[in-house]
Amino acid sequence: MHRALISPYTNYDVLEKRDSLSWNDATRRAIAKRLSIPRVPRFFSERQWQTLDAVCRRILPQADDRPPIPIAALLDATLLIDDTQGFRTDPLPYDQDAWRLGLKALDIEAQAIYGAAFHVLPPSTQDGLLSRAQGGDLHHPAWQPMTAQLFFEKRILVDIPAMYYSHPTSWSEIGFGGPASPRGYVRMELNRRDPWEAIETSAPRIQEDPYAR
Amino acid sequence: MPVDFDSRPRAVAGRAPDVFDPKGGFVPMRSYDEDEAVDFVIVGTGAGGGTLAARLAELGFSVVAFDAGPFFRPLLDFASDETAQNSLYWTDKRVCDGENPIKMGGNNSGKAVGGSTVHFAMVSLRFRPEWFKSRSALGYGADWPLDWREMWHYYTVAERALAIAGPVHYPWGPKRPRYPYRAHEINAAGRLLAQGCEALGYRWAETPLATVSAPRGKSPPCVYRGFCRFGCSTNAKQSALTVWIPRALKAGAEIRDLAMVGRIEVDDQGLARGVHYVREGKWRFQRARHVVISAYAIETPRLLLNSATDRFPQGLANSSGLVGRNLMTQSNQAAWGRMEDQVRWYKGPPSLTITEHWNYEDRGKDFFGGYCWMGQGPMPIEWVSVQTGARGLWGERLRTEMMDYNHQIGVKMVGEMLPDEANRVTLDSDTDQYGLPIPRITYRWGDNDKRLIKHALDQMMMSLDSVGATKLFRQEDDTNHLAGTARMGFTPETSVVDADCRSWDIPNLWICDGSVFPTTGGVNPALTIQAIALRTADRIKALAIRGEL
Amino acid sequence: MQEGSCQDNGSHTRDHAAPEGGAGSSVPDAPMSAELAPAARAPLYAARDLNRCSGLLALSVLLDSSVEHYRGNFHNKAMYTPLSVSTLSLAASVHGVTGRRPLGHKTRLAVFALAIVTGVAGTLFHVYDIIRKPGGFSWQNLFYSAPLGAPSALTVAGLTGFFAERVRRGQTQVFGQDAARLAAITSAVAMVGTTAEAGLLHFRGAFHNPFMFLPVAMPPIAAGFLAYAGITTPRTAYPFTRRLLTATSLMGLAGTAFHVYGVSRAMGGWRNWQQNMVDGPPIPAPPSFSALAFAGIAALRLLGAKAPNGPERLGATKTGATGAVPRA
Repeated sequence: MHRALISPYTNYDVLEKRDSLSWNDATRRAIAKRLSIPRVPRFFSERQWQTLDAVCRRILPQADDRPPIPIAALLDATLLIDDTQGFRTDPLPYDQDAWRLGLKALDIEAQAIYGAAFHVLPPSTQDGLLSRAQGGDLHHPAWQPMTAQLFFEKRILVDIPAMYYSHPTSWSEIGFGGPASPRGYVRMELNRRDPWEAIETSAPRIQEDPYAR
Repeated sequence: MPVDFDSRPRAVAGRAPDVFDPKGGFVPMRSYDEDEAVDFVIVGTGAGGGTLAARLAELGFSVVAFDAGPFFRPLLDFASDETAQNSLYWTDKRVCDGENPIKMGGNNSGKAVGGSTVHFAMVSLRFRPEWFKSRSALGYGADWPLDWREMWHYYTVAERALAIAGPVHYPWGPKRPRYPYRAHEINAAGRLLAQGCEALGYRWAETPLATVSAPRGKSPPCVYRGFCRFGCSTNAKQSALTVWIPRALKAGAEIRDLAMVGRIEVDDQGLARGVHYVREGKWRFQRARHVVISAYAIETPRLLLNSATDRFPQGLANSSGLVGRNLMTQSNQAAWGRMEDQVRWYKGPPSLTITEHWNYEDRGKDFFGGYCWMGQGPMPIEWVSVQTGARGLWGERLRTEMMDYNHQIGVKMVGEMLPDEANRVTLDSDTDQYGLPIPRITYRWGDNDKRLIKHALDQMMMSLDSVGATKLFRQEDDTNHLAGTARMGFTPETSVVDADCRSWDIPNLWICDGSVFPTTGGVNPALTIQAIALRTADRIKALAIRGEL
Repeated sequence: MQEGSCQDNGSHTRDHAAPEGGAGSSVPDAPMSAELAPAARAPLYAARDLNRCSGLLALSVLLDSSVEHYRGNFHNKAMYTPLSVSTLSLAASVHGVTGRRPLGHKTRLAVFALAIVTGVAGTLFHVYDIIRKPGGFSWQNLFYSAPLGAPSALTVAGLTGFFAERVRRGQTQVFGQDAARLAAITSAVAMVGTTAEAGLLHFRGAFHNPFMFLPVAMPPIAAGFLAYAGITTPRTAYPFTRRLLTATSLMGLAGTAFHVYGVSRAMGGWRNWQQNMVDGPPIPAPPSFSALAFAGIAALRLLGAKAPNGPERLGATKTGATGAVPRA
């Protein structure tokens, strides 16, 4: 178990506030929908899903101390109903096409270099491939009209983290207050906490007088 | 489309949603016949169109205002959630290109009655007076055909209408009347900005914000929930949706939600006759004596270009060839760092403090224009996009860094970018869900822009360093807000509209939104757009009285 | 215990004489000093009036500092001090109001002295809280940092209680000054101070409701008349000033109602009390006006007793004054 991956907010679960004044009905509906997302591919093919799932595991390795977040399922649903930002940046296609194309290309690169599908490669090899994509060092024609680097920067590093941090489990992990309406917050000062906010258990040092020069 | 939202229009059959009713009630709304030529059709209901709809209706004109987006009920529809709030943005198909393509979506668009003011961060700043004469007074950009003293008056009117909560004394620029409401309590992130400014010897102030610090009518005071760059689910935010639209409805304007205007029709005399629009899947036509476009810097030129006829083959109001040109965004770079203390920046409006030092100080600059910077409080998804976008982090490193969320601080600039004719909106061959050609948005930072950004980043890094923040890093690539593409000016050859926002080419076609800005200044544009709309309404009334409409 | 030894002291005879002007029926069990003339009951009543005010003020401080320091997470242990001192002060005042001896009381006196000192110390703490922040004495910090005027309420509660002790013993002098005059002037000054605080906070609220001008406009007028009464020759009655003070005390109660309404209309209303009780208009604040107005009325009574031909002549004889020293 990796020490750094243990949340400093061990006793905090943002979902405990679900029925409190911090959540309004619109929020409850939206989050309930997210939590009950079908964990099967609807937008992606089975093979694309396998590749995507493997990529997600490398981009955001899941917590050891909390149930995993269904990143691939969340992305699948987002693309299925087109809940995207809508625009595209040349030469990237629109999100749906970019994802289908990019996952396929990544798999083709894996086959070309290692003779195996991306999702069956060992994690360190997967990391190696992803790093090469990030560094602009994968040039298979299958990436066209995009580049591996653009796909990595504009889709992988944008969408996967957005899915992960849209999930309440991630909010608990980082100590984010989560939904806040109609009740917001009262204590705005440095090192102050409302009773309905997360307690940092493995606290870093707290300076007593933050304004002292 | 929003996951959770009924996509049928709500403002129909003589009534419109009552945005203040927690039970989902309605207010009466006047309805106009499509064959009846109303005095004004307004396309867009945001900072420009919403304001104008209210004022023109109050001045006695018949008004129908269209918005492509839904008519939200903040108390019932708005979740405290970044992802769910994607439904507030303009997410129709668009293509971006150029050396520094602009990121669209949540950054700079809105698709809702109230426009992007529904999710704007409420920052309500005045221009520095010299910016209205930036060419003649400061040597760059273009002069505005407006006098700053007149604008000062309309800023005051807008601030009152929006009950802006601001400092008792604003430390920059000429004297301005006291803000109607007092500044909000500043949060830890805001205090640290102030502390950094004091270390650098710069003045700072509480940011004037359009969210109330005390009750106002049916708006309760802000509860500091922090989701301010999304829809305000308490109605503390004084957006066009909660301020101007209710006023417009009360004064007899009709609002048509989920109504996308696709073409302006021009008659044989070269005058606008009305607009073609889609509502509930059907193309319809509304007659009008005057048409105002308030669709912001992408959709306004797109509509003008898409309305081309044999008589106006380059698009409407485009004899100068400037429609779609001089698109401006604003530099929105940031410096970030980590404090030993718990900051918990998700509490309160994100930008509670500001320094406009480099908007008003010209010495020591190797660039034209100015910038301000403000405190920050990104929600988790926005924050992770900074970590991945600016630092390229992923894997365990990313998750570990994200666990510092409550210790993070940051300051973010709003910087002036200079107008450049090559930065522009054109029509693409691709079409959208209505069958209309989509906009292609081309952008490139100029050398001046880059120098300004570098200066600002250096300054902001110093500010964070001076408060003891560690693990500092720069976010070098972000922009926000839009302007230009239908600039106002002094002659038909060098501009699209005159000082009254009236197009030079078609006397009954007006443009009233951020597109008319000749320059964009170093502050958020919303208040200036509203001030221009207030002035335009008064000018229209004056012209009507003189028989010059 | 001091208290017991004092009350059970059988050496005092019981006096059933009615007070002047028929103000109240006889007090059957009031233990009165044998040396006191019937007329000398006025100081006791005035003292108990003053105790009511000090108690109300202490209660207001207790509630207000509980809410505000809870808001501040009690991040400094010293933030518990006003809670305990105001509680003691409240208890001492209640004891003073219910106690019927025209005697001073050392514990009460000590508590009130502690309240005075705590209030001063609190003010210094609050000043420090303001000046250490960026902006220093700025509107922002005056609005939202530790409220400058709040700890003074505890000082005033202590002072009022202190006067009550003196007056109860029939002393006409406090700190070398005339007790009645001092009580009037202290109430007047405190009322102006409270007005300043209400003004500051209502300014913060942008006077969004016209009624918010009332606590800024009315108390200074009442305070002015009260102070005037305190510095001029005593008269037998002050009907106008008394009416102004009564109105001010009613305004304090009305203010509470307004603040309750204010909390209810904030987002989430009373259901969201955890936020709105703390961030909304302070419910315990307006009664301070009532408390000070009551103190002013008590001071008027003392002044009336001093008037050359007054019916409520502050009849403490020299013996009465000295004889009332409580035993240790």
